[in-house]
Amino acid sequence: MDKYECTACGYIFDPAVGDPDNGIPPGTSFDDLPDTWVCPQCGVPKDLFVKLG
Amino acid sequence: MNAVIVGSGLAGTIAAKTLRELRPDIGIEVLGEERHPYYPRPNLIEYVAGRLARERIFAFPESWAERQAIAVRLGGAVVRIRPDQNLVETAAGDQVRYDALLLATGARAARPPIPGIERTGVFVLRTLDDADALLAHLGEHRRVAVLGGGLLGLEIARAIRSREAEVDVIEVFDRLLPRQLDAEAAAILKAQFERSGIGVRLGETTQEILGDGAVRGLRFGSGGTLGVDAVIVAAGMTPETGLAREAGLQVGRGILVDDRMRASHPGVFAAGDAAEHAGRTYGIIPAAFEQARAAAHAMIGLDLPYGGTVPANTLKVAGLHLTSVGEVHAAGPGFESVVRAEPEAGLYKKLVLFEGRLVGAIWMGTKKGALEIGRFVALKKDVERYKKDLVEDAFDFGEAS
Repeated sequence: MDKYECTACGYIFDPAVGDPDNGIPPGTSFDDLPDTWVCPQCGVPKDLFVKLG
Repeated sequence: MNAVIVGSGLAGTIAAKTLRELRPDIGIEVLGEERHPYYPRPNLIEYVAGRLARERIFAFPESWAERQAIAVRLGGAVVRIRPDQNLVETAAGDQVRYDALLLATGARAARPPIPGIERTGVFVLRTLDDADALLAHLGEHRRVAVLGGGLLGLEIARAIRSREAEVDVIEVFDRLLPRQLDAEAAAILKAQFERSGIGVRLGETTQEILGDGAVRGLRFGSGGTLGVDAVIVAAGMTPETGLAREAGLQVGRGILVDDRMRASHPGVFAAGDAAEHAGRTYGIIPAAFEQARAAAHAMIGLDLPYGGTVPANTLKVAGLHLTSVGEVHAAGPGFESVVRAEPEAGLYKKLVLFEGRLVGAIWMGTKKGALEIGRFVALKKDVERYKKDLVEDAFDFGEAS
């Protein structure tokens, strides 16, 4: 599964790690994150993330 | 141990968050002048464009600070700091004692001294209150001029255009994004903007904002005029250094700090848009972020030096991809550029090499490879062998990195 980077702060969302602090278990793909999910570092929404090549 | 942070924007909030992660036992107080809890400023553009609901602007749930045992006081200015007594004084008359103080006071939108700038209908876009005021005005005023063709000005213009208002961008330079683009790339960008219905006027100085009480138009140095009923000034940022200056701290363009974000008085630190490190003020999120983390460590005696940030500018607007990073002009001995342009398709890729190493790039019209090219520049990667392939759409970044 692809990793995604926050264009605002550089945080990388790694599906293997998830975002357990915010209720996202490991193994969750970026596409499956809820639309209300925001960058856990700086708080921008999903659409300011870009896929890492 | 009591850590006090002046400023509730990104640097102040990230510093508080980092401090709490590092030390569960200390007192952390954030004093914010804005009435609203922390929100990332890029969200304001999304909000103005109508793509993000107001309640989704904020980064953390309402209970976040309380759960983190971070005391946040909002809507009150700090009027004075007294480094000799380890005290901060608020406008409400409170005195707050600190062991370590972080000045994360941010920046304010610059307001150039144009006659008429005080008229009703002239806005800046820096805070949520600014955005609310602008949106209220745009409800009944649909002819907008944006003064400034830099990143923020262009993002604002696109956001307002998506609300179907009439928008003109006025830029003093002879091209858009004068700091991030060369002439050829800027011409392609201008055509893209015009295609989306945004007017672009280059090489124009605004002599006066016309009107009675309210804005009626602009008068230019060239003698021409433009009828508008709203003006948004996007003329850059000024670091907020007043408190530091009055307290006798060393201030240049920003509050001077060393690699540990220490200001010139023991126990006082600065980070974010207000800080000046190694001769630079940044005004970009990644720099504020790294500085805040470094400052939080230093405030409790840990060592996480800050070594500067490579500015990468990404214009984030729907249907248009633009990244500009590092040196974009190949001027001088040892420099070389590789360009691939397809103006009709809005595509422009430029590499700037110095002695075979990648030191800058413009990447426009495609998302593919944009992030990777930024990485390559940050690493000053030696791309001499495959520089021509690098600008081709089929180039496989996975293999090269």
